Amino acid sequence: MDRRQFLKATGAASATMGSIGLGFFGYEAGRDPESYTGWETHEGAQQTFNRKRYARDYPHYKKVGPTSRADARTDVIFYRRGDFMRSWKDNTGIEGLPEHLQEYYRKHPDVLNQDLYLMKEIFPKQRADYRKYRDKFILASAWSNAMGAVSPTRINQPPEKSDFPSRRRFGDSSEPLKMKSAKKTSKLIKKIAHELGSTLVGIAKLNPDWVYLYPMRGRGFEPDKPLEVPKHWQYAIVVGTPMSWDPMYANPNYGTSNDAYSRSRIIAFRLASFIKQLGYAARPHTPGTDYDLMVPPIAVDAGLGEQGRHGIVITPELGCNIRPAVITTNLPLIPDKPIDIGIQSFCKTCKICAENCPSGAIPTGDRIEVRGYFRYQIDTAKCHTFWSSKLGNMGCRICVAVCPYTRKSNWLHKAALKVSVNDPTGISHSVLTGLQKRFYPGPDPQKYYIPSLGGENASYRPPPWWLRAEDFIEF
Amino acid sequence: MHFFNSGLFWFLEGVFTCLTVIGFKIWMEDRGIPMPFWKWILLGIWVFFFGFTIAFIGTNLGEKEPKAALLGGIFFGLFAVITGVGLWRVLKIGKKS
Repeated sequence: MDRRQFLKATGAASATMGSIGLGFFGYEAGRDPESYTGWETHEGAQQTFNRKRYARDYPHYKKVGPTSRADARTDVIFYRRGDFMRSWKDNTGIEGLPEHLQEYYRKHPDVLNQDLYLMKEIFPKQRADYRKYRDKFILASAWSNAMGAVSPTRINQPPEKSDFPSRRRFGDSSEPLKMKSAKKTSKLIKKIAHELGSTLVGIAKLNPDWVYLYPMRGRGFEPDKPLEVPKHWQYAIVVGTPMSWDPMYANPNYGTSNDAYSRSRIIAFRLASFIKQLGYAARPHTPGTDYDLMVPPIAVDAGLGEQGRHGIVITPELGCNIRPAVITTNLPLIPDKPIDIGIQSFCKTCKICAENCPSGAIPTGDRIEVRGYFRYQIDTAKCHTFWSSKLGNMGCRICVAVCPYTRKSNWLHKAALKVSVNDPTGISHSVLTGLQKRFYPGPDPQKYYIPSLGGENASYRPPPWWLRAEDFIEF
Repeated sequence: MHFFNSGLFWFLEGVFTCLTVIGFKIWMEDRGIPMPFWKWILLGIWVFFFGFTIAFIGTNLGEKEPKAALLGGIFFGLFAVITGVGLWRVLKIGKKS
């Protein structure tokens, strides 16, 4: 073999080796646990998206009319349905319900029908199927319970009692420490939040419209008395962590919200404690139900992302796989700006969440006016009815799993994100949505239901090996 | 960090690329096909796309998304083959008999 022939043969071999190498690179990138955003580090290295470039002076939702505040007693599904189930009697009907529920159901008779449907039709079938099929989900339930086992003591005092520091290690407890500048303080608070384990953190000036008019129960407020927004709730710090990725993709049966709920809750309480040690007021508002305000619009205000068609905030780093918590405070801070990364345009064409939602709770139409703001409105009654029927961990989260933004952080999905957020024409949104629908389809939504309701207990993706009860337990 | 995500892997990929370019250049010279800069640019774009196709398949297999790997492999692979045939015809322009 002469020199030229040798070089040609070497070139052909190199091309083959290089191609095979790219295949292995892709395979490793796809399975690499480091592509699970949020778990690689607790030092803030995961808030990688350059938000400054996409910052806007106003959030994507528009104020289109006179605004009003949400009533937690009726607008928060757990609260309303809890009260409804406790107080409903067949012989008294709507007349036997608390006054605010009577008023609400008279305005929304369709919602009353859905709440009755859950109680009378869904729960008996769920209980029957649970006895038959629960074995399969034992490890998933155990995992969920384990993640929810540690929790800070709930705040059950009003803001004037619970928010202010009672005792400080340093300084005069009656006076807040004098901070050098709001800018430096904001930087410090974000660093601390990341050190405490928060994947994302942002700051907003608190819009009082996001505070419940009638508060949640057990938060220290007088029941059935409108909540006056405390003057010291000036800023809102939003922290958030993702749910574990593999179980999340195996929703609605194997995923849980408890893991991220617990982490975000602990972070929020720790951050509130840190702020109190500086002498300022701080109050954590944490999942699942310990809120005095609505979190998604605050996360939008804080520049973490944009609210999607499914009502969840879509962030560039985690997609909508984020469970946020909020700390309201009077510590002087510099608010972040909302961002525009093209989610509104994307959601307009995508609709994957709506098409995969088994309950039909996610709208396929356009945004509408809700309490004076223009946004997508999901049917929470339908949503909650479906997820109350499930046998594994309560909940559904299919919309989180199927959202094209909820993808692992590897080169492929990062590239798609980069194209999507930088495309003002929206052409790439249609292309990417088309590819997502064809390449990553889920089961027929009806299959997500329990057998008694005509389904097959399907999951979006198979469970991870460590949640397959049949592989570990003798039944 | 795995080998296929490491700096060493990309160094080796660079070495393979250099050797491939040298071998390809000689092969084209032996066939009497001139390679001006614009042909190299077209070839580079095609090679990038071909590499993307292979990495796409691998990534989706790694993500346990076999359907995406299969459909993407067929879709992008067919595109790579068709454009590859077209490219070969373009590369042959100016071939010395």
